[in-house]
Amino acid sequence: MSAAPSLPVRALAALGRPVVAAARATLELWGVLIGTLAGIIRSYGKGGRRPRGAVLAQMYAIGNRSLVFVAVTLGFIGMVMMYQACLQFSRAIGDLSQVGLQFLRLVVSDFGPTLTAMMLATRVGAGIAAEIGSMKVTEQLDALRMSGVLPIDYLLVPRFLASIVMTVALTILGAAIMYGAGGLTAWLSFGVNPRTFFDPAMVQPRHLALGLIKAVTYGAAIPIVSGFCGLRARGSSEGVGWATTAAVVGSSFAVIALDFALSVGALWLFGGDL
Amino acid sequence: MIELVDVGVELGGATLLRGVSLAVPAGARLGVIGPAAAGKSVLVKVMAGLIPPTTGRLIIDGTDVTGWSEEKLAPVRARIGMLFQNYALYDFLDVAGNVGFPLAQRGLAADAIGPRVLERLRAVGLAGSEFKQPSQLSGGMKKRAGIARATIAAPELVLYDEPTAGLDPVTTSKVYDLLRADHDASGATAVAVSSDVAGLVTFVTDVVFVYRGQLAYQGPAATLADAPDPLVRQFVSGALDGPLEA
Amino acid sequence: MIGERTLTLLGARAIAVTREVGGIALMTGQVLRALLPPRLDGRELVRNLHRMGNRSLPIVALTAFFAGGLMVVQSAPFVKRLGATSLAGWAAGYAVLREIGPILIGLMFSGRVGANNTAELGTMTVTEQLDGLRALAIDPIRYLIVPRVLAMLIMLTALTIIGDLVALVGAAVVAYLVLDIDWRTMYFSFADNLTPHDFFHGVYKSVAFGAAIALTSCYFGVTVKGGAVGVGRAVNAAVVAAAVSIMLLDFFITYATA
Repeated sequence: MSAAPSLPVRALAALGRPVVAAARATLELWGVLIGTLAGIIRSYGKGGRRPRGAVLAQMYAIGNRSLVFVAVTLGFIGMVMMYQACLQFSRAIGDLSQVGLQFLRLVVSDFGPTLTAMMLATRVGAGIAAEIGSMKVTEQLDALRMSGVLPIDYLLVPRFLASIVMTVALTILGAAIMYGAGGLTAWLSFGVNPRTFFDPAMVQPRHLALGLIKAVTYGAAIPIVSGFCGLRARGSSEGVGWATTAAVVGSSFAVIALDFALSVGALWLFGGDL
Repeated sequence: MIELVDVGVELGGATLLRGVSLAVPAGARLGVIGPAAAGKSVLVKVMAGLIPPTTGRLIIDGTDVTGWSEEKLAPVRARIGMLFQNYALYDFLDVAGNVGFPLAQRGLAADAIGPRVLERLRAVGLAGSEFKQPSQLSGGMKKRAGIARATIAAPELVLYDEPTAGLDPVTTSKVYDLLRADHDASGATAVAVSSDVAGLVTFVTDVVFVYRGQLAYQGPAATLADAPDPLVRQFVSGALDGPLEA
Repeated sequence: MIGERTLTLLGARAIAVTREVGGIALMTGQVLRALLPPRLDGRELVRNLHRMGNRSLPIVALTAFFAGGLMVVQSAPFVKRLGATSLAGWAAGYAVLREIGPILIGLMFSGRVGANNTAELGTMTVTEQLDGLRALAIDPIRYLIVPRVLAMLIMLTALTIIGDLVALVGAAVVAYLVLDIDWRTMYFSFADNLTPHDFFHGVYKSVAFGAAIALTSCYFGVTVKGGAVGVGRAVNAAVVAAAVSIMLLDFFITYATA
């Protein structure tokens, strides 16, 4: 029987254990991303086989069924944001003519993509993790492997592609609704002339570009993180529950972290004038 | 046909299998018995290549496939069929889709798959259930659908993980009848895990006893009740007293 | 006919939503009734407080830090144009305290604690543990649900308060690193321009969000049907319902306290 490890060793181990676990998880997550990209090449390259209509089916599952959800939530938040923005502008500058421009910039390059993605992270992230997770615990993934099918190719690749397309589509819709709802609020509550608000000339290409890049990045991140959580599910219904929870938290946090990173990147790129 | 050489499996810090060496010749029928959580399912999954051994080697038909990637294993797996403990039927496909899946993955055309699926379903007694969803089947029907899926591509080796668990005695007999008929006709090698020792010995020729992750006994099925090892004798007879830990 | 099918689908969806809202309202009534007079399992309350609060702190803090930094980055062009670095703290702080803080922390809490709660209650329902409790003459509402609802409410409020502070710190750090604004400038920007009213505006919201997350997650947990797949679906439904509730409540509270 060996003596128990000394206190400093135990403290180091306690600190180190989560770090090691986090590092390993990050590596596995990266592995899922690489695996998915490889799966895309395998499926669409020469001699690739892919389940017919799978991407379209996933696009329906992700897009159409999230439509109302995204529209409602972004509409409401748009109204609130505009309200707060108008209040702030009134207090700071006392003049609301700039509100439309600033709000548009925020919606197109940041809040539109990010809030849409946060909503999708809960809905789509949970859905993907729940599906893949329950297939893992009922050994359906093993059965797929026995038939020579890679679960990542068969399950994750269609969801990955569908998610990117649908996140961009829903972002455009969500941003439009958010901006429209905001404009309505500004007009009704603060008397801002809709004409100064809905001027299409105000849309700047670099804001659009940033918003698009964010939407694509979020659309890619959510299924990777959620798929990763689903693939790690263990046990039975408890394991599926855990996987779903982890997917929602992980996807949401990924969106926020990516938003921050991309925004700082854009700021640096454009020299402080977003 | 398939050989394990000193295989050990360690997962999540626990030793699931240790020093397992066994050889299954082609055409043989091997039964795997043992107490719950002894490592029987792990053993079968190692044979399927689903769990890579931490130590030791897995040799399938003379080729060492230890640690091979999923892609390399695919052609090897094409010759193996597996029935999973909880059926593992795909919930997004109907019964016909499930049973025909291995053929579809091998690139067979739809009109070639259809008749074979119907023939298999008839053989397992599920004719008429082609378009049902797995959730609409009873336990026995799901097991039989799983057997149909496992055997449709005429594999040389079939692995059965608990083919009769949770089934009533009559259905159990039917399943073993089916397995005997299948293997008499095809001559394929079989490895079957079962907690139902009495039923299992009507099908298999040899038995291994897995106890606490190790092979405690290997021998012919016919003389199982008179095995020299008291552990095995107690397990088989179901006696309460003996060297088996409670 | 396409029109008919769409209407049927819409109608079915509307009925489903109504049923859920009604169920949640009923559960709210049961919880309130169990609270007066307050008779609940103290041990369960403490256990849940610890589980939901302490263990959510890291992810909430991290989220809040990034959220604060994000607001500063977004206010950057504005600040640059007017040359008013003292405004940066105010712009970021205002957004964080009133909106971004409560909403993002609420969403993360819904994901981490709400989803987990639904999964747990769902597993208990599927494995018939709730029926087992009733057979022992223990009221699941009093024993399981009320402590969780209270714990979530209390903890989200606490986490939002802490998160607000972390977000302000995050804003200051990012302002220094990215915009070269001295932290003292930020501090005074906060102190001079942010009012307690701004702060409490956010806190009221977090209380409401906490209640919404608690009630939706518990409801979807105990109404699970169908094994592992059902639990996954229930978690999905719960987080979606919580997100919608958060946005709706945010809207109403913003206008109500205007």
